[in-house]
Amino acid sequence: MVAGRARLRRWLDGLQLALVLLVLVAPVAWMVLSAFKPRTEVAALPPRLVFSPTLENFRELFARTDFLENTLNSLVVAGGSTLLGLVLAFPAAFAMSWHRMTWPATATLFARMAPGTLFLLPWLVMFTALGLVGSHLALILTHAVITLPVAIWVLLPYFDALPREIIESAEIDGCRQHQTLLRVALPMVAPGVVVAAILCFVFSWNYFLFALVLSGFSSKTAIVASFNFIGEGVTNWGALMAAATVIALPPLILTLIIQRRLVGGLSAGAVKG
Amino acid sequence: MSVTGAALAAEAAARDAAPRRRAGPWRRRPTASFRWMVAPALAFACAMIVLPFGWAAWLSLQESVIGGAPRFIGLDNYRRLLADAEFWNGFRLTLLLWLLSLAVQLVAGTWLGLLLARVEVARGLVRTVLVSPFMLPPVVIGMMAIVILDPGLGVANWLLAQAGLGPLLFLADPGTVMITVALLDSWQWTPFVALIVLGGYLSLPRDVFEAAEIDGASASQRFRRITLPLLAPTLVTAAVLRSVDLLRFFDVIYITTQGGPGNASTTLNILAYRRGFEFFEFGYAAALMVTLSAIVFGTVLAFAKLRRAAAW
Repeated sequence: MVAGRARLRRWLDGLQLALVLLVLVAPVAWMVLSAFKPRTEVAALPPRLVFSPTLENFRELFARTDFLENTLNSLVVAGGSTLLGLVLAFPAAFAMSWHRMTWPATATLFARMAPGTLFLLPWLVMFTALGLVGSHLALILTHAVITLPVAIWVLLPYFDALPREIIESAEIDGCRQHQTLLRVALPMVAPGVVVAAILCFVFSWNYFLFALVLSGFSSKTAIVASFNFIGEGVTNWGALMAAATVIALPPLILTLIIQRRLVGGLSAGAVKG
Repeated sequence: MSVTGAALAAEAAARDAAPRRRAGPWRRRPTASFRWMVAPALAFACAMIVLPFGWAAWLSLQESVIGGAPRFIGLDNYRRLLADAEFWNGFRLTLLLWLLSLAVQLVAGTWLGLLLARVEVARGLVRTVLVSPFMLPPVVIGMMAIVILDPGLGVANWLLAQAGLGPLLFLADPGTVMITVALLDSWQWTPFVALIVLGGYLSLPRDVFEAAEIDGASASQRFRRITLPLLAPTLVTAAVLRSVDLLRFFDVIYITTQGGPGNASTTLNILAYRRGFEFFEFGYAAALMVTLSAIVFGTVLAFAKLRRAAAW
């Protein structure tokens, strides 16, 4: 009797979870399926789940638009801002951890809380004056405002776990400070750097607002280009879903690698601060 | 760095560090200071965050429109804001989106998080599916919404019709647009809240639950009297994280409706953006943005207080 009820409950739990997973997967599956559907079947109702997959949507997307260039721009901006964020955050997080400084970490949370539009206004004036509007550099610099706090918060616990004796003995052995950092600390926190790099890249890749205003014709990111497709009232849903599939792919693949540490990384600031 | 430079730095560092560094067992040896390593990040933050913030605050005290010379007008922009029906409309919509989404995500997230703790099959696959939505770019959420929720050709209305319901206009109807946006955000972020709840739940002491069960507490009693109070700090953390994003919500709304139909989804951040970058009323837009920042900070501080109260 009791065993029967326990089994029923387990069964109900499994059913509920399966429903949740269905709700979460269905829209994404719909997007990917639509991207591979022939033009005539994309909007067909009742929906056709069996069809002969085609690449015509992707061909049209890359042949008729600058989407390939946009994707490369996204790679440059996300890669550049990840690198810049890490180069700034790595020594900073080390020093913050070593000296138990808390105020810089709290200060970076400020950047995470204020609306992006607030910074965008002065940036637009600033970058216009410097002639940088429409350049990759402006986007890398602004996206580093996103990546820097993420990198600091992800790296801090890794540095906190580092045994102090190792750093001290490196010094006694005559290491310069930057050598201590690069040759001793870096290999030991390498897993943290990987997590930080992936999160930074994904955040920068996904970010919409800054590139919406500050990118120009030659630096437009894939995210903003996709938004423009919507604005142009693109009726070719197949190509639209092909674009969505292309830009969804890097975040999905990258986060697969670090999913165990993902939630901790995303909420690090809030849990401690 | 030159040798002398390094020596000087080390000496200065030793002076700096020595007196206070003797306390702990591993602080017997004088160690160098690494404080200077914060400098590059700090300089960057000053140039890109602090300075622009101050500039925006200064801008909010000016009448500054494109083409005209800026003029200092004190708090006039803020007075104008308080009398602006569009501001109050945006305020109401921001509040609505925040409360609606937060309620859905906390309730569903708690339910899902505890469900995850019970079901032990295919953990890896389940986690992969759960993390995917909140790692997707907002623009992809918007594109999916436009195709799936299209009033005429979307598959959502077809499904509703199969159940004898609808059709709904979703994002095209002033009456349903905010609910639709709240549900889109909940689709994306409820799994995130659930994973936070799961983490919090797994770190709770097991014996409390066992003792309650032995004492004959029913499942609902255990949930209300033990699980929920113990999870309170975790839930507040999740609420803070979601609130910060929800109060300054921008991406999905701007991508799908640009604040429409009419003004039905013009939240404060959308309003600020449109005033600043579509109408080029820099001064007034800055006042809106500073006000919104104050709302976000105020909420976070209130939650921080709440978390101290909920701590155990």
